[in-house]
This record gives sequence, C-alpha cells and structure tokens, in this order.
Amino acid sequence: MKGFKKSIRRFTSLTLAALTAVSLSVSAFADEPYESYNYDNWEEAIPSQSAYTVKDVIGGDYMGLARLSDPTDPLFYSEEASDSLSEAKDFYVYNNEELWIADTGNSRILRLDSDYQLIGCYYTVTGTSEMDSLATTEDGTATYFNEPQGLFVTTSPSTGKLTLYVADYSNSRVVRASVDSETELTLEQEYVKPDAALYTSETFNPSKVLVDAAENVYTVVKSVNTGSVQFEADGTFTGFFGANRVEVTASVIVQNLWRKIASNEQISGMTRNVPVEYANFDMDSDGFIYTVTEVSTDTDAVKKVNPAGYNIWDNSVGDEYNFGDYTTSVYDAATSTTYSTKLTDIAVNDDGLINVLDYETGRVFQYDRLANLICIFGTTTSSADQAGAFSSPNVVEMFGDDVIVLEGSKTRNDITIFKRTTFGENLHTAFAYYDEGLYLEAVPYWNEVLKRDGGYVYAYIGLGKADLKNNDYKAALDKFETVYDRDDYDKAFEYYRNEWLEEHFTAIAVVIIVLVVLLFVRWILKRKGIKLIKRKKKQKEAD
Amino acid sequence: MYEFSELGWIKHVVFHPFEGFEDLRWKKKGSVKYALIIVFLLFVAMVANDRMMGFAFDDSQVKVFNVVPLIVQSVVYYVTWVIGNWCICTLLDGEGTLKKIAIYSAYALVPYIICSYCAVLLSNALVLDESIWVTAFQWVGLGWSVILMISAMKAVHQYSIPKTLISIVLTLVAMLLILFLAVLLLSLFQQVYVFVYTIYTEISYRIRG
Repeated sequence: MKGFKKSIRRFTSLTLAALTAVSLSVSAFADEPYESYNYDNWEEAIPSQSAYTVKDVIGGDYMGLARLSDPTDPLFYSEEASDSLSEAKDFYVYNNEELWIADTGNSRILRLDSDYQLIGCYYTVTGTSEMDSLATTEDGTATYFNEPQGLFVTTSPSTGKLTLYVADYSNSRVVRASVDSETELTLEQEYVKPDAALYTSETFNPSKVLVDAAENVYTVVKSVNTGSVQFEADGTFTGFFGANRVEVTASVIVQNLWRKIASNEQISGMTRNVPVEYANFDMDSDGFIYTVTEVSTDTDAVKKVNPAGYNIWDNSVGDEYNFGDYTTSVYDAATSTTYSTKLTDIAVNDDGLINVLDYETGRVFQYDRLANLICIFGTTTSSADQAGAFSSPNVVEMFGDDVIVLEGSKTRNDITIFKRTTFGENLHTAFAYYDEGLYLEAVPYWNEVLKRDGGYVYAYIGLGKADLKNNDYKAALDKFETVYDRDDYDKAFEYYRNEWLEEHFTAIAVVIIVLVVLLFVRWILKRKGIKLIKRKKKQKEAD
Repeated sequence: MYEFSELGWIKHVVFHPFEGFEDLRWKKKGSVKYALIIVFLLFVAMVANDRMMGFAFDDSQVKVFNVVPLIVQSVVYYVTWVIGNWCICTLLDGEGTLKKIAIYSAYALVPYIICSYCAVLLSNALVLDESIWVTAFQWVGLGWSVILMISAMKAVHQYSIPKTLISIVLTLVAMLLILFLAVLLLSLFQQVYVFVYTIYTEISYRIRG
C-alpha cells in the first residue's frame, strides 16, 4: 500500500512538472512584445487580453519584388530595380482583394494580391502631362512618378475602369490614371497647383489623396493648413475642405493678449498661430471623411467631417470623444524617454471599425463606429526589432479581418500583419450587434469576452442593455454599477422604480389611505375637544 | 412659559430662527451631551453623503474610500469654529462662554444634518431628471443652518447684526490660522518622531551588532 501511494505521488509530481514546463514554453511563445491594455471608467489603463496578435512581418523578399529585376519575368523593369520597399508612405486596400503600396523612396507603385504577392508595378504613367518640367521616358510618351506619397484605387463610376489616383509629391501633381495592365497606366487627368487667388501657398506637394462617390478629389497638401484641397473630377479647384482649428496652448493665449496691445508693426513681426495640417485621412462607406492630425492635445486630433465640412466629433459642443491614450505624455522607464500621443493615420473599414495609429508609441487604437475604444495593440521598438513593434509606423489599414501596419523608415521597411484572436472576433461581433441596437443578439459574444477579460467595460454595458430589453431591471442595475455607467444606471433605475411602484401599488395606496384617515380622526378629536385617556390622567396629576 | 425637554428646545430654536436662541439663553438651557451627539450625526451625514447617495447621483467616483477627510470636514471644522469664535469674541466683548458657543453652534447645524439625510434618502428614490429636489434639500438645509448660525452667534454674544457678521468673518480667518498652525505642528512633531525613531534604530543596531 505504501509503495502504491509513493508511486502515485511520484506520478502526479512528474505530471505537474511536465505540465508546468509545457505551459511555460507555450506562454513564452505566444507573448507579444507589449502588454495589452484597455481603459476603465476611471480612465486608468488596466490589463486586457490581446484582440490582435502578430501573424507575420513581411518585406520585399516575401512579396517577390526580386521579380522586377529578373529579365525573364513578365514584370521585369530594370536590372537595378530595388527588391525592397523604401520609405513607403501609404498603402490602400482595394475591395479587400488587392493591396496597393506607394513605394515613395523607389518612386513606384506596387500592386499585391491578398497573399501579399506582387502582381503589378508602375513606374510611369502614359500620356502627355500639362507640366513640362517632368522627367519623361526616352520616347516621351510617359512621365515618371517622383516620390508618390499617397494613393487611392477605385472602380470609376463614370468609365467603369479600374482607376488609380496618385499623390505625386515631388512632381507637384495628383494623377488620375486608368489601370491598363500589370505595368501600364494611362493618364486621364492631372490635378495641379490651383491658379486661384484663394490658394496662397507657394508650393503644391500633395501627400495624401481621397476620392468621393462623385469623383471629387480631396488631397492633403504639405504646408497648406486650411484643410484639404478639393478638386472636381475635371481638375477644377473648388476650395478647401474641413480646416483644423488652432490648438489652444498657453503660448497662444499669451500671444493673443499681446496682439490686443501691440502696434501693427509689432504684430507683423510676430509668428502667426496657424492650425496644423492633417497627417492623413480616410473615408467610410457613407462618404464621411475621417482626419487625423499630429497634435499633442485633443484639439481636432481626430475628426469625422460631414460633406458640409463640419466636424461631427466635436468636444467643444459637450461631447466626450477621446482618441489615443488618455495621458498626454507617457514616460517609458526602459528608454527613459517621454512619448506624447501623435496620431498619424486613420483607417475605416466597411463595418465602421476605426483604426488610429499613434506614431510615437506605435500603438493602434481600434474604435467602433461610435468611437468606443475596442482594443489597443502594437508598440514601439525599445531595444531590438521585434514582431509587433515599430520604430516609425506610417500607415494602418484593414485588409479583410487583418490589420496591417506599414513601417517605412531609412533603416526598416516592412509590413506587419496583425490577425484577430478569438477575443477580437467576439469583440467585433458583439460591437457590431451593439452598435445596431441588437443587444440581445450580442449577449453570447459579450459573455465570451467576459470569459477572457472580466474587466471589459463595454461587455457589462452591453449585457446591462440586454437585461433592460429583457425587462430584467435589477440585473441591469448591477451591471451598470459594476462599470460605473451612471447614465445607463439612471435609465434602468427609472424603469425599475416604475415597475416597483406598479407591483406594490395596493400596499402603497393602503398605507397612504390609513395615514390620511388617522390624521383626519386626530383632527376631529382635537376639534371636538375629546382628549385621550392618558392626557386626562396627566391633567389629574397636575391638579 | 417655554418648558421644553432638551429635544423640545432643539426643535424650538430650529423653528424660531430669530428668537429661539435668545430664549435658549434666557432660560439657560442647552446641553453639551446633545451638542456632541449632533456633531457625531454631522459626521455620519458627511459619510452618508459620500457613500450612500443614489448611484446616479454619486459623483465621488473613488476607488479607495478614505474617512479622514470626512472627519476633518465635520469634527475638526466644528472644533476649530468653536475655538476660533471663542478666541475672536473674547477680544470683541462677546458674552459667550466656550461651552455656550459649542452648544449653540451645534444646535444651529441641525437643519443641515436633517436635510442631508433627506437628500441622501431622496437620491435613492429619484432619477437624474428629478435631481432638482435633491439639490433643493441640500441648499435649503445649508441656507437654514447659516441663518441659524448667525442668529446663534448673535444671541450667544449679544451682538448687533453687523458685529455678528464681522465676528463670523474674523472667525473664519481664525479657523484658517488655527488649521495652518495645526498642520505646521503636526509636521514638526512628525520630524521629531522620525528623529527619535532614527536614534532608536541606530542604538538598537549598535547594541545588537
């Protein structure tokens, strides 16, 4: 018997040791180089599960860029063609099928399929340019791109062709071209520096481009701070769209005071307070334009601009939209540097998911269509290059369910692909139902979310709203109280109180009637001079 | 005339803001015991205000509850008020003794305390749209108590109204001074304590080592 016990003990301890070893190795394998977090209702960061995890980091070799310098390949361009990306500034996901990259440093446009394999490359655009200063090919029929920084791909509603818009930065033009083959583009229209008095800037260096359903072209131009420059389809300049406001800082206030008392000459010597131009923008399926600006405060950091040019997400009218980290600066003890939030790109997909990329901290903040924070992932490199860490992330996009981030600097050029975890899938389904008001349908997904992260704020709010729909007010109250959602608690409480009053109406009515009768009897007794026996006794004692 | 129990006297002064305290003084009534109970109830009201407000009305979203600020806001403020007022009014020919000032001041706080409790109870039964009732109770209680306090100070020192107001302002200044000195003294004693404790550890190390 003793021997048996001993062997059992040995067996269990061995099993435990093996299990521990296995679980340790697994967790070490699955770790991201950052800790996932979210914000609670006190606006403090709390640990959370990862909604996205790094699937792959791919560079030019994975995409097959070597084919461009291989003479036997149909995509062959020249022997010297670079086989890697170089300071790429933008990419665009077309129809969730193709990924187009503006390879700025190599002055070319790359076209990849959904497996990130090269299927096309464009160095030139065929057609005579209005501008005569541009570099042309030897036969003079085509012009080269020169550091294209932004692009937009769409099927043109007027011609029905696959159409590419390129913000050709150093050529000072925006090009609209139809895509003829894997290597050929035909120039359809050029959008050049406006000849209008309204356009006061000396230069015209477009860095980003967007096109709406009516083929109006919006472009972010360097050092133009009055909003994006807007063109009609035929190249006519129509004006500026959705300018930022001046960020109110202490120095701005002080300068405004000085301006009040300074003479005209002194004022002309002062620096002007001008808003910051957009860093990037994107358009959702409803035609709203989302802009991001690299400012340190939350003044116009992220805007949702309607077609009239007004910002819908405006905190100055009493809303509370917050993007990026709640703290304006984050101290990193590992590198002893202070980061301040600098939102550099925004990407909206067809489901309304909004991804905002913070250049300084390398974090991607994902929001639902109502600007509720879903999850945060990514980080900056502190010491060594790691998958999921960036040194200068430029662009974020959603490619299907994946989030891809483009890293384009002098030293590192690659694309990081984040794939959704089960946690992330549940979050997206739950938020999709939640935003449509289908609270009951979202319940199983919120429960899955809570299994993995018991502190997820919106899960409690979602479940609480489902309880409200089920008329289970007491349960709803508990959930709203857990996450300190006072407004929803108040609504639930109103229903709860009405229900309570209805249920106990008879009892309440009886109590009130009895009280009224008692008071009435007392009043009558007092009026008739009838006194209670006790008082008579007292009076006798007094006599 | 005016044969009340102690509770009756409190009720009398609360509902007669203008002569109540004069009557109390004339009849030489008022008890320290009840005054202390009232101050304790004030402290409880403060805690209730912080912890037991209806959830939707509770804007003190603290993660960790700390009772010390509430003690300071009720008991410490009351004690400094009494001492400060006594110090000032002794100089300003006031007739009140320390004991009387303590009793009258406490009695004047009664409406504020009762209205606080009512507001706390109401806030658990109302929704935010009806929050005006809670606010009304809080402000009525506060205003009533302020009027009673002025009346109490007027009666206890036998001042005219302008002199009462001046003495109250001076009392507030005196409270600030007292609290400032108290904080100073506390930090000083802490230094002394740290000093003694360091010497103790030093010696104990030497004895052991």
